[in-house]
This record gives sequence, C-alpha cells and structure tokens, in this order.
Amino acid sequence: MKSLVLFTQLAFVALVIGLWAIGSWIGAFDPAILPPPANVAIALEGLLRNGDFLAYSLDTITRVVAAFVIGAPIALAAGFVMGENVGVGRSLSTIFNMVLSVPQSIFLPLFVLLFGLGFTQKLIFGITHVFFVVAINAMAAVRQVPHGQVTLARSFGAGRLRVYRSIYLPAMAPQVMTGLRLGIIFDIIGILLAEMYASRTGLGVLLLRWGESYTVDKLMAASVLISAATIAINETMRIWELRVGRWRKVLENR
Amino acid sequence: MTAGRPLVIETRGLRKVYGIGRAPLVALQDISFAVEEGSFVSLVGPSGCGKSTLLQMLAGLVPSTAGEVLVDGVAVHQPAPEKISVMFQDATLLPWKRVAENVEFPLEVRGMKVAERRKRAAAMLSLVGLADFAQRYPHELSGGMRQRVSIARALAPDPRIMLMDEPFGALDEQTRIKMGHELLRIWEKTGKTIFFITHSLTEALFLADTVLVMSHRPGQIVGTIKVDLPRPRTYEIIGSAEFGAMRNRIWKLISQDDREVIGEGMAGL
Repeated sequence: MKSLVLFTQLAFVALVIGLWAIGSWIGAFDPAILPPPANVAIALEGLLRNGDFLAYSLDTITRVVAAFVIGAPIALAAGFVMGENVGVGRSLSTIFNMVLSVPQSIFLPLFVLLFGLGFTQKLIFGITHVFFVVAINAMAAVRQVPHGQVTLARSFGAGRLRVYRSIYLPAMAPQVMTGLRLGIIFDIIGILLAEMYASRTGLGVLLLRWGESYTVDKLMAASVLISAATIAINETMRIWELRVGRWRKVLENR
Repeated sequence: MTAGRPLVIETRGLRKVYGIGRAPLVALQDISFAVEEGSFVSLVGPSGCGKSTLLQMLAGLVPSTAGEVLVDGVAVHQPAPEKISVMFQDATLLPWKRVAENVEFPLEVRGMKVAERRKRAAAMLSLVGLADFAQRYPHELSGGMRQRVSIARALAPDPRIMLMDEPFGALDEQTRIKMGHELLRIWEKTGKTIFFITHSLTEALFLADTVLVMSHRPGQIVGTIKVDLPRPRTYEIIGSAEFGAMRNRIWKLISQDDREVIGEGMAGL
C-alpha cells in the first residue's frame, strides 16, 4: 500500500517532466519562456558550482535562520503566557488572528522606509512572519492541556516544574510543532519576498534579476532548488510532528 | 467499624464558598466526619452536591474556606502523596505513556530509581491482573482495564489512603460490578483505607463499612449509615431484605432533599 502510494507520486512527477520534455522537443513551448528540462538541469548544475550563487544562498539562509531563531522562542513564550492567562489570552488572540488574516506583504514598503534595505529590515520582516502563527499555535497547545491530568500529577506531589515537564510538554508538543513548521515556511516566504522587493543580496534578488532578463533556465533551476529545499524542510518537520503526536493520532483513529 | 481503630481522616466544620462579593455560592457547609484506619467509606449524593470538591479538599488539592482536614491528626494544606492516592472518574492515564510507565508515574515524580519503580509497577499490574498489558498504550485498553491501570497507579506509591471519585461511574453495569468485586479483593489484600465517592446507592452499600449521605445546596452530610453486612460480600447480598432496607433509608435521606429542589424549580415556573 505504502509503496503503491510512492509509486503513484513518482509516476505523477515523471509524467509532468515527460510532458514538459516532449512539449519542448516538438516545439510546443517557446524555449525563451519555457526551456526544456535538460537545459534547466544543466543550469542547476552550473548554479551549484557558482560561488556567487552559493554566497547569495547563504545570505538568504542566514536571514531565514536568524529570524526563526529569534522569532520562534519569543513567540512560544508569548503563546504560553496567553494560554495560561485566560483574560490576556482571549483579548490578544483575537488581535493575533486578525493580524494573521492580513497579508503581511502589504507592510513591506513601510518596513523598507522604517528599517532600510539591509539585514535588519529582512530580519524583522522574517520575525513578524514567524511570530504570529507560532504564538497562536502555542497558545492553543496550552489550552489543550487536560486539566484532569494536571490535577492528577499534583495529587502525586508534582510541583510546577514537574507538571510542565511531564504533562504540558508532551501534551503540547504536536500542536507546537505544527506552529513551528508553519512558522518556518512563513519565514521563508517573508524573507524571499523582502529580497525580491528591495535588496542587494539574496536568492530573491537573483530570481527577480533572472526573470527580468529572461534568463529562464537559471530562474527555473533556482526555483526548483528552493522548492525542493522547502519541501524537504516541511516534510522533516512533519515527520517530527507526527512522531511527537503519535499518541494523538491513535486517539483520533479510535 | 470496630471501636478502637485510629482515625486516619477527620474533617471538622469544613466549608467551601465559591465566589466572593454579591453572590457567593456555598458549595459545602459544616462537613464533619471521621474515617477509621483500614475502613471502606462510601459517600453518596446527587450530582453537583459538592462530592468532588470535598474529595479534592481531602486530597489537599483545593483549599477550604473554613474548617480543617486532618490526616493522621495533621492538618492537610497540600497533597500528601506518601499517604494519599487519588483516583478520578476518568482514568486520566497519560496517553503518550505505556501502561507500565503510567503506573510508574507517581514513583517517577517521587524520584524513585528506574529499576526499582519498574519492579514495583510490574507487581502492581499483576495485582490488578494486567501484567500482560504492561507495554500497551492506554487507548488499546477497554474502559474497565484503564480503570484497573488507574488503580494500579494509585497503589504504586503504597499510600495508606485511597480517595476515589466515582471511579467506575463511566463504566457499563456489568464491568462496574466486576470492578467493585475487584476493588474489594484488593482492599482486603492490602488493608488500605478507602474513601469512595459514588452516586449509586447500591454500589455505595455493597462496598462500604460506612455510607455517608450528602445533600446539596449547600452540600452537607445528612446521614451516616453503618453497613453491618458480612464480608466477603457476594452479589446475592444486594437482594437481601437488610440491604433493601438500608437502601431505602438512604433514598429517603436523599429524596427529601430532592423534593425541596423540585419545589424551588416549580416556584420559578
């Protein structure tokens, strides 16, 4: 069953690439707009050997990681406090949910005016993308901690720290992981967007430059590479999420 | 109860008021009773009469507004897990832990060494007849089995007192009767003092040496019934005239209280 699913998925990808290759070969696509897959593969290989490309990639990765490393812990702490304090949590979570519904990209010009074009602007823009989704999920995770289990632990003499470690942590883990996974994806979106809008370095700059100059083979190669990287990150986080939440999944299937 | 056994639990003028200011709700009023070492005491009363609050106060989980709880003559202000274990209606097993790990949990909190607590958990699981299920997860067990794990967990720290809050309330009738027998067997074997809350008059009488009857609004003890039925108890005893008479007495105590409540409700119509 599992192998059948994998086979179907691989077959689908192969089909898309196959149609693309055939289409290019019979001249159905304009090579200036959609070059054949082989050209994209060659471009990709070239990019991976190109020092400038790698340096720009490193810039982007640094920004994404920095925004996550700073934003996620603050968001977790904020979400925890909001979850534990019903009054504060209820009023703030409404605001947070509203903020989440606003496309944050509209604030990008404002961010540029406030923080310039450098690292700081990208970092802050990335942090705002990480923050809300992680905080909302952390808050929901705290609210889900069953009161009965906390009372039980206390009846066995568990202090506050022990309750946090033995009850809160495992009960919250799956939902917190969901938040972190979405947080890193939003983070990548935010950083690339900021780079494409106005920046001197980073992958976003290259994507925009190659798009404007019709360097489609490189554009597609970079796009494929970034897609693969984000998919890999998402899948890794999802597997981890399922692992810490295995007990939750079984409860649902019951 | 035979005279001369020491009192392990004693409450004096316990009172619990929720909410302060304009509309305080008196949940419990002037609760005074005593439980002798090694005895089985049931507490019956209508739902919402404050039985659970009382139990949580005995466990040191909820503070009282007035009065005191004494365990071994010492006032209780916080949980005393070395003396008291609590069992809840919901088995409250931790779903991410295996059965054995759940039984080990109170020992883990206490800081007992891994090897020692493994051994202890295994012994407790065989006492409740679940030795073969040690490595399963709670969701793989039936409701009755989960409550047996909960009993094993409560027994693991070897407390002298077990406080049980409608532990079989969510089970079907047959399982409930079986669990009652099981609990009596364990009680006779271990000699614990058991304080058992239920809303089933039959269950209360079948299990206990003494039945405390509670009314509501505010919750107070309206009667104490000594149950002098022979032990070990069998299912047939429930059909005896003696049993029926006692059940009627409890019913009268409780329904007196209910009439008032119905009256109140009617007045509002």
